[in-house]
Amino acid sequence: MEQFIQQCVNALQWGSFYALIALGYTLVYGVLRLINFAHGDIFMVGAYIAFFVSTFFLLPDGLFGFSRELTLALTLPLTVVLTSLVGVTLERIAYRPLRRKGVHRLYVVITALMCGLILENGNLALLGASRKTLPDLIDKHIYTFGSIAVTNLKLWVIFAAFMVFIILHAIVTRTRIGMAMRAVSWDEFALPLMGVPLDKVIVFTFILGSGIAGLGGLLFAMSYPVLEPYMGAMTGWKAFIAAVVGGIGDIRGAFVGGFLLAMVEIMVAAFLPSTFRDLFAFSILLLILWQRPTGIFGLPTTTKI
Amino acid sequence: MLTVTNLYARYGKIEAVHGISFHVEEGEIVTLIGANGAGKSTTLKALMRLPPPEAPVVSGGEILFAGQSLLRIEPHVVVDKYKMTLVPEGRHIFGNLTVMENLQLAAWTRPKHTFSGSLERIFSLFPRLAERARQRSDTLSGGEQQMLAVGRALMADCSVLLLDEPSMGLAPLLMLEMFRTLKQLNAEGLTLIIVEQNAKLALEVADRGYVLDTGEIVAEGAARELMQHPRIREAYLGG
Repeated sequence: MEQFIQQCVNALQWGSFYALIALGYTLVYGVLRLINFAHGDIFMVGAYIAFFVSTFFLLPDGLFGFSRELTLALTLPLTVVLTSLVGVTLERIAYRPLRRKGVHRLYVVITALMCGLILENGNLALLGASRKTLPDLIDKHIYTFGSIAVTNLKLWVIFAAFMVFIILHAIVTRTRIGMAMRAVSWDEFALPLMGVPLDKVIVFTFILGSGIAGLGGLLFAMSYPVLEPYMGAMTGWKAFIAAVVGGIGDIRGAFVGGFLLAMVEIMVAAFLPSTFRDLFAFSILLLILWQRPTGIFGLPTTTKI
Repeated sequence: MLTVTNLYARYGKIEAVHGISFHVEEGEIVTLIGANGAGKSTTLKALMRLPPPEAPVVSGGEILFAGQSLLRIEPHVVVDKYKMTLVPEGRHIFGNLTVMENLQLAAWTRPKHTFSGSLERIFSLFPRLAERARQRSDTLSGGEQQMLAVGRALMADCSVLLLDEPSMGLAPLLMLEMFRTLKQLNAEGLTLIIVEQNAKLALEVADRGYVLDTGEIVAEGAARELMQHPRIREAYLGG
């Protein structure tokens, strides 16, 4: 039983990363009906930005020699802002020109795939194949309850994922720009007729999605400090699948899907050889999609004639 | 107020409008009539500067609004600055939003303090919308959706309204009611450009009309005269 609870805690932390990435996938898909396949790599870029920002500030090698607390306090907002700028830049130079020409979405999706590869290989070319290690930014505490052990970092990760979800949900359901985002997802054509600037709504969506991926990158790098250019690829794919299983376009779906995938992965790994993990995890997800092709929260869309 | 000269519009390689010219003065009701595929909706979407693929690309000619060219203007700016908007064919309401949210969103460019006043006005024109304010708008009937589409356009605080097939899908009584409302709005100073397949109804409320046929204007004049024109009677008014 205690082992089960321990695994659940691990799954919550692991799922937090999937959820944070899946939220970005689902936001962009929800608004633009675009599967932004570069999103996993934006998560990777976020982790690298966290690395550079923190080593830039931190004692003893950093330029400023700040304390760890201060470094983290600066790294967190800077990572989020800089990563969201990367996302906005992609939208600006890659997706928007295609959108302007009114091309079919398939071409934009392929462009997104290419952008992801460019980010991965750009990183490889610039920084070489050497792996970077994020310095420790917080003191690790381990809390034990019986035989269950939780680090403070794990709790922070889980807390951050839930906070992001709550705030994002409030933005989408309660604010004017959130209303515009929901409106675009239903009918992009009609939005400008309300005097709403479509491009601004789209840029805002990319800021949110990429900023959250940046936060995910920072937390991931703090939890598993070794960074490499392809770290976003597999995690990104999995988070995308999590978003689809949850019901892509719905932020509750991305959140639940992220945790569901982590739970399945960790439970499979706990009771079966670890080489079976992905095979079983994705087979189970396939079964879920079989029953609900539009995902857990996804509804088949209907149009009124 | 609005002057279109020698307008050419195309979807990809297919030209849908071949050099049409017309003008609309402030306070008028002008109607564009014609059969399916005549280029009526294309013209409205071009006026609104909506982007492809749903809307055409203007490949020639000029659109002047109060003397200023709209050709390089984005659609949301046409609404915000030039105060012209479109009630599109097929309504295009935001079905995942409530009736109230649809109206709130349409008030994007409107000063905040004027919202409740115009909400009251819209609800008095279309009482059904008030009843259904908290309902998801895709649960509305077709007629109610059309009311919402017009109400939304009024909320956008515009002085020129383009209406694409406002009678489509409406029961005959509702259709008459809708046109009576439009006439009333016009009496209050709104300029209307109405595209209609129901040419008889459109010509009855309009001041002037243009008849489009396969992307060209084949007749124009006062609505009363067009209604008397034997060839138009035969082709568009059912004899």
